[in-house]
Amino acid sequence: MKIAWKEMKKSKAKFLILGSIIFLVSFLTFIISGLANGLSQDNAALIKDLPDGQFYLSKDADSTYNLSKIDEEIQKQILMDNPNATAFSVQMGFVNDAEDKQHSVAFVASTESGLFENVKDGEIVLDSSLKENGIEVGDVLTNNQFSGEFIVKGFVDQQKYSHAPVAFIGMTNYQEIYRVMEMQTIFIPGEEAPTLSALDSFSNKEFLNAIPSYSAEQMSLNMIVWFLVIISGMLFAIFFYMMNVQKIGLYGILKAIGMRTISLFKMIWYQMLVITAISLALSITLSKAFSFVAPEGMPFHLTMDTVWMLSAVFMAVGFIGATISGIQVKNIEPLQAIQQGEM
Amino acid sequence: MSAFTIEKVKKTFSNGEIEEEILKGVNLSLKEGEITALIGPSGSGKSTILTIAAGLQRASCGEILFEGSDMTKMSQEEVRHVRATDFGFVFQSSHLVPFLTVEEQLQLMLDVAETKTSKKEQAKAIDEMLKLVEMQHRKDAYPSSLSGGERQRVAIARALIHHPKILFADEPTASLDTKRSKGVMELLRELTRTLHLTTLMVTHDEEMLSYVDRVITMRDGYIVE
Ligand SMILES: Nc1ncnc2c1ncn2[C@@H]1O[C@H](COP(=O)(O)OP(=O)(O)O)[C@@H](O)[C@H]1O
Ligand SMILES: [Mg+2]
Repeated sequence: MKIAWKEMKKSKAKFLILGSIIFLVSFLTFIISGLANGLSQDNAALIKDLPDGQFYLSKDADSTYNLSKIDEEIQKQILMDNPNATAFSVQMGFVNDAEDKQHSVAFVASTESGLFENVKDGEIVLDSSLKENGIEVGDVLTNNQFSGEFIVKGFVDQQKYSHAPVAFIGMTNYQEIYRVMEMQTIFIPGEEAPTLSALDSFSNKEFLNAIPSYSAEQMSLNMIVWFLVIISGMLFAIFFYMMNVQKIGLYGILKAIGMRTISLFKMIWYQMLVITAISLALSITLSKAFSFVAPEGMPFHLTMDTVWMLSAVFMAVGFIGATISGIQVKNIEPLQAIQQGEM
Repeated sequence: MSAFTIEKVKKTFSNGEIEEEILKGVNLSLKEGEITALIGPSGSGKSTILTIAAGLQRASCGEILFEGSDMTKMSQEEVRHVRATDFGFVFQSSHLVPFLTVEEQLQLMLDVAETKTSKKEQAKAIDEMLKLVEMQHRKDAYPSSLSGGERQRVAIARALIHHPKILFADEPTASLDTKRSKGVMELLRELTRTLHLTTLMVTHDEEMLSYVDRVITMRDGYIVE
């Protein structure tokens, strides 16, 4: 495909423009999907990091977890039948530090299990983001609904819920703060979670989408990402279309001397491939670099899985765009070109 | 026996309602090692018969016999293959590929013709061909830096590098001054003889006829000899 490469070298400006546009669009796409992922992590890391399994809510809760109350008898029975299961509750709230500064947290209390931090009453384990607010191990925290005190036992990484750091506390303390005896949710890990007639059950994905704002947030960001992908495909189609129109004469001559139409397509594909590969390499590098320079408070989390997936989509979309624009090349008559005169 | 025969070829163009018969039954045979020149007034159908013979457009009816097969009965792909391997073309303007050097233009033609020889042999053949057309010293030049006469010599080299059997040329000297035109005609005559080509060319320049072996005159879609 020397001819394709030679053309790119000779008309650098044209291809550079196309390349820069593809670069900008794909860079923006990576940044936004990094942000989407980061926000989703920020919103629901607590739930996202759980293994695949099944969540159960009481039937009268109507799929809203913070209205759900699981009957204590039922809970006891389920936990006995499923040794890996855990019952847990999540509620938004506040803790006050020694200087009486208030920090918003998501309180999480659970029965003993390997899925969440197990915390004794009077103790608290916090998401490490609270370290930046000056909280240290051994600090004493209070809550205005709680008669006792919490001693900070330690920190855990990446435990966020509804954009707030998670605070793991003991069950009895939780029951005191929120004045409920029942837990909200039961989670049973594993593929073959039982159907329980007394409770509604949800997959991990369904449960995530039941978190207020989670699906709305993710949907709008993902929509932007897919629009950008479609735009880049259209850019390819339009750009190659315009270049092809300019090159009708050239294609005609190449056909006249006997070049196959497929060779002309290969030329277009090769150019599309080179431009996309270079643009993507650049935007992958830069968006990975961005994750290091992103401001602290900005939830940015771009996984390589997402990067490869989006890159493959860009390639596919570029290929389709370039191919659609190539359909006109198929219809070029060699004679047209010859009669058109000097190019 | 002639190398290439056109029999009773007609061509009709339809412009909406109106059908116009441009070729009204053309018979023509070309001989190996000879240049046949087609002359005649503008609009008499010279280019049309040349491009039909060259497989660049279809005849409305008639036969075109090349090496025993009727090209009018071939598929698109078969005609393309004949164009790529057995035909060479020179047009009024050189139609070189703007982003390839002189050398690369010829290499491209070898690639299109799917020449089986080694890259080294191909390079040698290109070198020799460029020597023949006296363009060897400009082998790394791009078309934009060549003069009209030089471009036309490169176009001739490109038309012949893959050893075609038939060379089609439509007013190859039209864009050149008399001196350069004569140079190109001498070259065509010499190459036709030495490479045992069969050459069909259109011209309307009387002065060029001294370089050709046979002259055929067309008028209103007929051959009038
Ligand atoms: N594709 C076409 N459609 C309609 N008319 C055409 C087409 N090609 C050629 N003609 C007509 O055929 C006639 C002969 O054209 P041409 O063969 O180019 O003449 P010449 O080369 O002898 O000057 C002209 O009147 C021209 O307008
Ligand atoms: Mg003509």
